[in-house]
Amino acid sequence: MSNTKHIHKGLLERFLDLLLIALIIFMTLKGGTSGACAACKYQRRRCAADCPLAPYFPAEQPKLFQNVHRLFGVRSIVKILEKLDETQKPEAMKSIIFQSYVRDRSPVYGCLGVTQQLQYMIWLAEEELKAVNSQLQLYRSQPQNGQNQNQNHNSHNQMIHELGGDNKQQEDVTSQQLDLGMGLNVHNNQSNVVTPFFSPLLPVSETQQPQMSYTYSCSEVNNNGYSPPAYNTDSGKEILTNNNNVWGGQNRFLYNDNNGGGFSNQNQSCHEMKSNNGVMAIQSQLVNLQMASNHQQGEEEEDAHEYDEIHQFLEIIDDRQSFADSKEAYASSSGGSLKEQIDEIGENELRSAATCFSLTSVN
Amino acid sequence: IPKRETKKIKHFQEVIKWGTFSLSMYICGIYKKKMSNYTNSPCAACKFLRRKCTSDCVFAPYFPPEEPTKFANVHRIFGASNVSKILQEVAPHQREDAVNSLAYEAEARLTDPVYGCVGAISVLQRQVLRLQRELEETNADLMRYASCLGSETTSAYGGRRG
Repeated sequence: MSNTKHIHKGLLERFLDLLLIALIIFMTLKGGTSGACAACKYQRRRCAADCPLAPYFPAEQPKLFQNVHRLFGVRSIVKILEKLDETQKPEAMKSIIFQSYVRDRSPVYGCLGVTQQLQYMIWLAEEELKAVNSQLQLYRSQPQNGQNQNQNHNSHNQMIHELGGDNKQQEDVTSQQLDLGMGLNVHNNQSNVVTPFFSPLLPVSETQQPQMSYTYSCSEVNNNGYSPPAYNTDSGKEILTNNNNVWGGQNRFLYNDNNGGGFSNQNQSCHEMKSNNGVMAIQSQLVNLQMASNHQQGEEEEDAHEYDEIHQFLEIIDDRQSFADSKEAYASSSGGSLKEQIDEIGENELRSAATCFSLTSVN
Repeated sequence: IPKRETKKIKHFQEVIKWGTFSLSMYICGIYKKKMSNYTNSPCAACKFLRRKCTSDCVFAPYFPPEEPTKFANVHRIFGASNVSKILQEVAPHQREDAVNSLAYEAEARLTDPVYGCVGAISVLQRQVLRLQRELEETNADLMRYASCLGSETTSAYGGRRG
């Protein structure tokens, strides 16, 4: 009898222990602030079961919500989400989170800086493509006069990366030693000079005023590019993550490239505006320089585990604040050093962009 | 002159002195107010928020009254308090750029509530990748042509020597 009593007591104790453990687990999972999303944690309130922000701001990544809160504010986000369908909400939140992150990285220029950087890279690539195509045309048109061409090549007519709209005539690209990624010609045959949107030879202080008109009018240009079909979610484009975690895995922004016409207009319009802007180009060049030299920064390591893919993409967009410090130093630099810097940019830019870019997936 | 009248005269003179002094101060105040920029018309932000635009208004230099939609968009998306916080965190010579970039982002978000300005970034990025691919292919073609010509030259030269 005493044995059975002893056994029952032991079982009872074990049962109580298990119950206690289960209760503790339940409390930690469901109850208190440890189960709250990052948004509710930040606001120090109870996270309801139907919290609209909980799916997008996990508790392990408080920085995400901090960035969003600093830029948009909770009320704005909730307002934006209320107007959207259920299917559109995740995509909208991802774009908001990305925008906030970019703003955190670059408090002055934000996504506009990224856009301009990309436009610069497109211009660079187009110019290089034109040059290479012209060289290729030369080869194709004269296949039999190979010896004559070699003699011309030996004269090494180096392609000059012309920036700032010097009105030089287009030079024949006859150099055999065409360095990939270097050497661009600005075609100045027309009266309307298609100059880049920067003018690094201008002093920085003189270009403050035009820059304002450029940056704000760019929004009007983008309106042309914001044609509804390209941004219709039914068209099959996706902003996706391979993992459930928004930023932990491969975060890609995909778009159907069915708006090429709209954006060619955008590029043309931006080309027209390019002569007005001086500072942006200087900044973008410096950004590339700093990117080439400073790949790893200590402050990025803190967020590395949170912004894995974004970090790769945004290495291209260096800290603009560091540019402000180096502005004066740059303004006093000579033209010769500028050319060397530009050559270095041309050499590294496309390659590094190809490796660093990770927003879209290449199908 | 009796003493009472001298007292009255003195009192009257003092009143006139103080009167002219206060009047001159008042006129100076009006003149100063007229010279300041903010009594003519408040900035777009203060107009929108229906408040008095003081001389130290944070928004006034960047939101002129001629562009009311600029502030309206920014306020609708980001909120005035967030914008003022951002402006205060940024150096004074960069505030104009910051405001313009915020205006651009706000307009983009209003145009496309789902993707905002990130849509443009994505499209541009695809364009960059496409151009880079095209450039690689073209360069490969060029290298092929160059190497062919090079081999022709060496063979011709070798033949000539031989």
